[in-house]
Amino acid sequence: MSISLFYFVAFLTIFFALLVIFSKNPVHSVLYLIVTFFTFTLHYIMLNAQFLAIVNFIVYMGAIMVLFLFVLMLLNLNEGSIGSKSNLLKMVGVIAGMCLIITLVGSLRALDTSDPLVLQTQDLGLVKNLGKVLFSKFLLPFEISSILLLSAMIGAVLLAKKDIKQV
Amino acid sequence: MNALILLSILAILVLYLGLYKAKNALLPVSLLGLGAGLILALLEWNSGAAPIYDGMMHFDNFAVAFTSIGIISTMLILLISKDYFEHISDNVAEYYAILLFALVGILVMVSFNNLSMLFIGIEIMSVSLYILAGIRKNDYKSNEAALKYFLTGAFSTGFLLMGITFIYGSTGSFDLGLIKNYVISNPAEISPLLYTGLILMIIGLSFKVGAAPFHFWTPDVYEGSPTIITAFMSTAVKTAGFAAFLRLFMICFAPLHDFWMPVLLVISVLTLFIGNVTALYQHSFKRMLAFSSISHAGYLMFAIIALGPDSVNSVVLYAAAYSIASIIAFAVLILVKRQTGSDNFESFNGLARQNPFIAFTLTIAMLSLAGIPLTAGFIGKFMMFSTVLSEYHVWLVVMAVINAVIGIYYYLKVVVAMYFKSAERSEIQSSPYFNFVIGFSAMLTLIFGVYPSFISNLF
Repeated sequence: MSISLFYFVAFLTIFFALLVIFSKNPVHSVLYLIVTFFTFTLHYIMLNAQFLAIVNFIVYMGAIMVLFLFVLMLLNLNEGSIGSKSNLLKMVGVIAGMCLIITLVGSLRALDTSDPLVLQTQDLGLVKNLGKVLFSKFLLPFEISSILLLSAMIGAVLLAKKDIKQV
Repeated sequence: MNALILLSILAILVLYLGLYKAKNALLPVSLLGLGAGLILALLEWNSGAAPIYDGMMHFDNFAVAFTSIGIISTMLILLISKDYFEHISDNVAEYYAILLFALVGILVMVSFNNLSMLFIGIEIMSVSLYILAGIRKNDYKSNEAALKYFLTGAFSTGFLLMGITFIYGSTGSFDLGLIKNYVISNPAEISPLLYTGLILMIIGLSFKVGAAPFHFWTPDVYEGSPTIITAFMSTAVKTAGFAAFLRLFMICFAPLHDFWMPVLLVISVLTLFIGNVTALYQHSFKRMLAFSSISHAGYLMFAIIALGPDSVNSVVLYAAAYSIASIIAFAVLILVKRQTGSDNFESFNGLARQNPFIAFTLTIAMLSLAGIPLTAGFIGKFMMFSTVLSEYHVWLVVMAVINAVIGIYYYLKVVVAMYFKSAERSEIQSSPYFNFVIGFSAMLTLIFGVYPSFISNLF
């Protein structure tokens, strides 16, 4: 039962991911991307990774994708306004993408595959364990990321604020 | 670690000074803080530091050396930023604060002992730089620079993260020591994921240091950003990028040398040729410096290609020589641009007659960048070439020498303009700060050039 469920969700993921790149309308693309992220959430739940599932659901699907959608609507990009790429550029893109796929698939094939559903450690993705690790072993990176956020925040205010003095 | 805490607090203090309109205190406080940070960092020299905070950071001699280069470059750049930021806008304190935050990121980058710290360090530095590149809000070139830098930077961060993920997936750890143990303990059955991750990390880091074929953002960003920020990018930031690169490969991946060496070899040769040949065709001094910084990335790559006990020493020396010379070049560029409003080579015409001191220091800087003997740049190039030669990459040295010769041509173009072309111009009014910075840097360049043992026997 659950293995077929996994393959079904995996199929949906790839299907919607393909729709993202093949749809002509950017707004549709973003909507398909949201569905793709939703199927990721399902994968995380099946892997018992609570925290990732929640974060993926709230942050990616909720916040970031809605932001995407807003930007697209503000830019008023419609079908055809993106402009067509030359065939040469398309060829280059296809070749580069295929090379990357071959490398990644090749390296994955050479690995021992494990059962996609049997977890080695059952409680790996629980919020409780993640919190413990974050506040013990990874305390320093956690604290230092505050500097990252602070500088980004100052920068955002600095760039967005209207300057009275004109140069 | 103490230096890191001090600099973080200093940045916040500077923000508060801005809040209370203490404009005149900004520069002295920043400089004093940086000086104290430098002393705190130097105190940890040879203290036998062990990894701290569960192996997150390791403030060893390597970190101390690169931290010092970063802090000193920043101090010199802050000195020439006097009056510069005021021209742009009223929010000077924020600029100082963001510059200091970027320096904090650099400190994290040069002392990381865990891949998560490497990532956070690079991000702190990059995010601050995206902002600094765009602080001239009404200048389209500056906007373009910030946007381009942001997009390519975010894209390259994707590669870096993917690489870190693959390495974690194959070794089960972010810790440099544990990754090294993994690589050493099963040489026969290293997971192919590790190799993929390694290549992705090379791509990500090459983006950050601006090595070809991932260099295409460099010229536009360097040209569009305010000159002070360009100076910061091509000195402290570039040095930190190479320090992180070298640290990662030296600690973790040295046993896999045969695998990644050809990749870096190709990147290095491409970088040298693209940087130098394109620099030949530039009319703008600033753009020429951007391409020259690409080509210097190629020379710096040599130390990683011929990874060995001398690598750290040669990168420290080369990065220091290159940073000091670049600071002189950018400082003079600021002065010239302030007077003539243009950064073309023609605006340097006849500078030697009116301002012999400025012209002389710029000449020293150019000679150092070109690698003429008796300057620091020569010693840097000499050490780089000898590390590579010791690994028997003779033809690589031949390529490098060809490129060095190409380099001499375009570096001397500005010297020729200053000394042998005449133009009607008035004397440039230079402030004591500027005179101190370019004089001090020129002196350091000569001292390192004549007595390289000051810095070349550190490790």
